[in-house]
Amino acid sequence: MSKTTRREFLKIGLAAAGGALAASGMEIPLFSGNNSSMQTQLSNANTQLTNLQNQLKTVTGFLTLSVNEQALLEPIVETIIPSDSTGPGAKEAGVIYFIDRQLAGDYGQSANMFMDGPFIPPTQNAITGVPTSARYQDLYPSLPTLIDYSGTVVPRIGSGINYQYALNLRAFWKAGLEAVQNYSTKTPAYGTTFQRLSSANQLALLADLWAGKPSVFADDHGTNIRPVDFAYELSFMTWAGFTMDPLYGGNQNMVGWQYMGFNGVNLGNAYGEGLSQKDLMVANTPTRLKPASLAQYQQAAAGGA
Amino acid sequence: MSSVITEARKNLVCLGAGFMSGLVAAEVARDSHNYSVVAITKGPWWDYVSDFSTTKYDEWGVGLGRKYDSPLPVQSTTIRNSPTQFALPVRRYTMPIQYHALGHGVGGAAQHYGGTMGRQGPWGYAQQSLTEAAYPGKLAQIQPNHDLQDWPLDYAGYEPYYHKWELVYGLCGTNNGSPNDSSGDLNYPWMDSSYGSKYPMPPHPLTPVGTQFRDACLATSPPQGAKFTSFHPFPHVSSLASQPYTNVPYGVPVNPCVYDGYCGGNCNYACETGAKANAAYRTIPAAMATGNFKLVTNAYIFRLVWDATTHTVTEAHYYDAQGNVHIQPGDVFFNGMWGYNMIRIMLLSGVGVPYQYSSSTGTGTGSVGRGLTNGYAPYTGTAASGTLNIGANSYSAGNASGGSVDIYDLMDDNFDHTNLNFIGGAQIGMGGYAGGGPGNITLAGNVSPSNTGVGGTFKAKQKDKYLPTTTNVGATPFAPDIPTYDHYVDLDPHYTDIYGDPLSRLTYDWTANMYNGATYLATIVAQILTKMGASNVKVGATPAQVHNDWWGHHLRGGCRIGKDPTSSVFNSWNQHWLSGAPGPNIGSNYFAAGEITNTAGDTVPSGTHVAGPQSWRAAEGIRQYLQTPGLLTP
Repeated sequence: MSKTTRREFLKIGLAAAGGALAASGMEIPLFSGNNSSMQTQLSNANTQLTNLQNQLKTVTGFLTLSVNEQALLEPIVETIIPSDSTGPGAKEAGVIYFIDRQLAGDYGQSANMFMDGPFIPPTQNAITGVPTSARYQDLYPSLPTLIDYSGTVVPRIGSGINYQYALNLRAFWKAGLEAVQNYSTKTPAYGTTFQRLSSANQLALLADLWAGKPSVFADDHGTNIRPVDFAYELSFMTWAGFTMDPLYGGNQNMVGWQYMGFNGVNLGNAYGEGLSQKDLMVANTPTRLKPASLAQYQQAAAGGA
Repeated sequence: MSSVITEARKNLVCLGAGFMSGLVAAEVARDSHNYSVVAITKGPWWDYVSDFSTTKYDEWGVGLGRKYDSPLPVQSTTIRNSPTQFALPVRRYTMPIQYHALGHGVGGAAQHYGGTMGRQGPWGYAQQSLTEAAYPGKLAQIQPNHDLQDWPLDYAGYEPYYHKWELVYGLCGTNNGSPNDSSGDLNYPWMDSSYGSKYPMPPHPLTPVGTQFRDACLATSPPQGAKFTSFHPFPHVSSLASQPYTNVPYGVPVNPCVYDGYCGGNCNYACETGAKANAAYRTIPAAMATGNFKLVTNAYIFRLVWDATTHTVTEAHYYDAQGNVHIQPGDVFFNGMWGYNMIRIMLLSGVGVPYQYSSSTGTGTGSVGRGLTNGYAPYTGTAASGTLNIGANSYSAGNASGGSVDIYDLMDDNFDHTNLNFIGGAQIGMGGYAGGGPGNITLAGNVSPSNTGVGGTFKAKQKDKYLPTTTNVGATPFAPDIPTYDHYVDLDPHYTDIYGDPLSRLTYDWTANMYNGATYLATIVAQILTKMGASNVKVGATPAQVHNDWWGHHLRGGCRIGKDPTSSVFNSWNQHWLSGAPGPNIGSNYFAAGEITNTAGDTVPSGTHVAGPQSWRAAEGIRQYLQTPGLLTP
C-alpha cells in the first residue's frame, strides 16, 4: 500500500471532491455564445474555475473526526477498500469524508435509534433482579416486579438488536478507534500504531477484530466494546461511503458506482441514451449505464443543466 | 399549554390509515346512510409526486435512515426466542431492512412493500381439520405444542371479498389459468382468479429467468406422491399497476409502474407514480370524495376506553403534535393498525383477554397476543441454488417481484404428506428483479464475520457486480409456520415508548415444520433448476441460522379470528366477541383486520393479501352493526 502523507491525502480528497461537483451536473459554460470574443470567454472560464475552487475549499474539511482519528481512520478505510489495479478505492471515493459527515450528524447522534435503558449486552448469559418499569407495574400490579431470565437471544452481528451500548454512535466510534490503536500498540505482534503497520499487518489486525481475537479491547480510559461490533461498523460504513450517493460526501465522482457497474439514478436516459427501464428489466445481456447522481437527476427533473 | 379536546362523535372511528382502515373507511363512508367516519394515523400524508419523485432515489436515506418510516425513538419493540429470555429492544434500522420498518402515515407500511398479492387457497383456511382428517396425529407429532386453528370461514366464503379487493386495489395477473397447461387435473382456479372473477390488469412482462423457470417447470416431472401430473407455472400476481387503471367501483385513477428498480430490494422504496397499491392512492381518496370522512394525521393513539358494562369501546384517545389529548367518541371502532401495534393498544387498554403463557403447563389462556407466527424466514433450512447462463441488469431496473413466475404445486396438500415430517409447503417463484442499490443488497448487508468486506480480494468480487453475464438463481422453500403456545405477543416489562407506555414484546422462534419443509422441497427445486440448464446446482444448508433474524417482520397471528371465543379474538365478521369473557358473547362494537388477524397460511410472505378480504368482510359487518348492534351471526 502506498503511504500518502496527510497533506497529499487532503489534496487528493480536494481533487476528488472537485470531480464530484463537476459530475453533479454543475456545468461551466465555456465558449458559449457565438459572438463573444475569445478573450471574454477565457476570462469567464477563469472566473468560473476560481469560484469552483473557492467553493471546494469551503466544503473540504472535517466536522467531527479529530486529527488523531483522521490519521488512524485513513489507513483503515484504505485497507478495507484498497486502491489497486482493479480500480479506485476508499481514498478516491473520499470515504473518510462520508464517515465524518455521518458521525457529525444524525447517524453519530443516534437520532433515529431507540436509546432508552436498560442496556443489556446481547451476549448476557443470565440476568436476575432487573426491576420492571413503573408504567408496567401500574398496568399489571399482580405480576412480579423482579423477573429472572435465563439469558438473552444471540443476534446476528449488524442486526437491529445487536447494538445494545449506552453510547450514541459517535461516542462508540471514539471508543472504538482508540481501542484499535491501543490493540495495535500493545499487541506484541504489532507493537506500533496502526498507521505504521505493514499493509499485511493492517489487514491482519482488522481480521483479528472480526475474529474476536483481542482479549482486551478498550479505549484509553477503560470503556470496553466487543471487537466484532466495531469491526462491523468499520466495514459497513466504509462500503457505504464507497457506494452511497455523492450527496453524502463519499463515492466522489461516483467512482464506487462506476467500479460496480451501478447506474445510480440514471434511469436509462440521463445522458440521452433513450433506453427504457422496462426493456432493461427483461434484457438477457447487461447494458452498462454511465451513473448519474441524485443531484443530477433532480437538476434534470427541474429542467436545469 | 396542552389541553384535553373532545372531538365530535363519529359513526366509525378507524385506528390507523393503511390498507385495512382505508378500505373500511371508504366502504362505510360511501354507505347510503351517510355515516360519518374518521381515520387517525400517527404519521403524515404523503403526496407521491412532491414527496417521493425527487428524493426517493436515495439508498442511504431510505434504506438505512428509513426517512419515510416510523421513527424508532418514538416506539420500538423487543424480541426474544423463548419465554425465559430477556427480550432485547430493536435499537436501530439496518441495511438490508430487517425488523420493524413500520410505515408511517397514510398508506402505512404498504408505501414500501413489494406488492406480492396472490390468493390463499382453500387448504390454508382449514389447515388444522384437513390435516387431522388426512393424517391423524401428524400435527402433534411435528409440533407437539401447536395451537393451529381453522379459519371461521372457508375459501368460498372469502372469494367474493377477494374479487372486490383485487378490483379496488388493482391487481395484475393472468386470467387464463396456467399457461400451456393441458393436464386438466389440479388447475388451482382459486389462484388464477377465474373462480368467477378476473384480475383487472395483465401481469408484468416476464424476465428471461422467469420464462426459463416457467418452461422448466412444464418440463419437470412432479415429485412422487404429487396430486398433479405436471407443474402449473403462473405469472406472479402483483399489486403494482402494469398499465393505467381506474379502480372499480371508486373511479380513482392509477398510474402504471415505471420499472425504475428503486422498488423492492428488501421492500425499501416508496413509489413515485403511485403504482404501488396502498390506501393513500386507492381508497382514502374515495372516502374523501364522500364528504363524510375526516383524516387526522400526526396523531398517536395511546388508549381505547373499554366499557365493561356495555362491552363496547367508547372512545379512542390520542396525542396531537402539540401534546393535546384528544378524545374521539364513536359508535363503532375499527382497528387497522400494523401488526403487533394492534395487540399492543388492546393490551394497554384492557380490551379483550390478554394471553398468558404458562411455562409449567406449556400452554396458555386468553387470546390477545396468542398464536404469533412468521410468514417469512430465510436461514430456516436448506436452499437450492445454481447458475444460469443469462445476463441481467442487476442495477435499478425492475419492480419488486414483478416479472417472475410462481408455482403453487409444492404448497398446501397438493402432494402426499404421509411419509413427510411437515404439512403444507411453499410457493416457489423465480425471475423477479427487485433492483435496489449496492449497499443494501450487495455489500453492507452482507458484511459479517464470515464475509468481512475487508481487503482487495473482497473488493475484486464487487467489480462490475451489477452487470452480470450469468445469473445465480435459487430458493429457500419453507413450509408454513405453525402457531405454538410459546410464541406470542405481550407487553415488555422494561422498555417503554416515548410517552412511557410499555413496548410490545415478541416471543418467537422458527418452527420444526418450516425447517423440515425446506429440507424436502429444496431437492425438488434443485430438479427444476437442473431443467432450467443451471450449472453448479447445489442443495445445502443455508449458512447462518440466527434465530431472531426475522427479516421483514412478516408476522401473522397473535390477534386471530376464529370459531372459538376463548381462543380467538374476533369472529368471522372480524368482530370482537369478548373472547373468554364471562356471560354471553354479545358481540362488541370493536372490529379489526390485518396480517395478525390471520390464523395461518401457506402462501407468500406477507399476510396482507389474506387480510384484505377480511377488511371487506369487516366493512360489511360494520354496516350491519350500525343498523342493528349486537353479535353478528355467521
